[in-house]
Amino acid sequence: MSEKTVLVVDDSRIMRNIVKNTFSSMNIPCVFIEASNGREALEQLGKNVVHLVLLDWNMPELSGLDFLKKIRAMDKFKTLPVIMVTSEAARYNVIEALKNGATDYIIKPINEKNFREKLSKITL
Amino acid sequence: MEKYIQPFVDVCVNVFRDFLGTELETGRPFFVDKNEPHDWDVSTIIGLTGEARGAVVISMKTSLALKLTGILTGSEHKELDDEVVDAIGEIINIIAGNAKRGLEESFRLVISLPTIVRGPGHTIMWPNEQARIICIPFKIFETESFCLSVAIDTGGAS
Repeated sequence: MSEKTVLVVDDSRIMRNIVKNTFSSMNIPCVFIEASNGREALEQLGKNVVHLVLLDWNMPELSGLDFLKKIRAMDKFKTLPVIMVTSEAARYNVIEALKNGATDYIIKPINEKNFREKLSKITL
Repeated sequence: MEKYIQPFVDVCVNVFRDFLGTELETGRPFFVDKNEPHDWDVSTIIGLTGEARGAVVISMKTSLALKLTGILTGSEHKELDDEVVDAIGEIINIIAGNAKRGLEESFRLVISLPTIVRGPGHTIMWPNEQARIICIPFKIFETESFCLSVAIDTGGAS
């Protein structure tokens, strides 16, 4: 498998590290790039070829949901896999994210089993 | 009011077990007197809006904040630096976000980004006059403790 680029978007640096460590434990060859809010994530998408976005919801400047709405309105990102990784656990939140184009949804706290299960359903 | 507290208790116990790998001993919840002084060093606050209003606050001593950050980062911390703020903010964010699920049949909530307040005996100005504040005390690591305070104003619904 060729190396994939994974964009990790979370305003918590500790959480970005936990997400990267958990993802790395699955031995999928990848490089990580990071953003601490939706606006920075848009910049990263403009500069890099990204194969997967792991996206928090509540962030300053531009939320994960607003970022998702923006990229799904752009033709080139309509099919980019985006997995929400968020503490927003209510069912109405999950439904709202999926309606707005999230590929899948992981509720924090995360674990390796969550990731493996969700990633097995998507093609990178 | 009390029925809104149980989801926070359950979620807090689960989050500390799953996220931080530690067990909690839950104390008896009590109503907080807004004017009563306390001796916590740091509090992290998340505002609740939507179909009800209020806040959820986690308060602890510096020593516990440093220990919890150490678990999440794998490194030792000696003072309340940015990484400690980040760690405690993420813990309360996960508690509040997960508690929404247990409350979704009562009302839909929107949670704010966390805000941290520090300083010995700091004061928290609660967002409204109506809501009573319930404190849930927890014991952790045998000698440490922290308090999760919740105030929810449902605008008359019970």
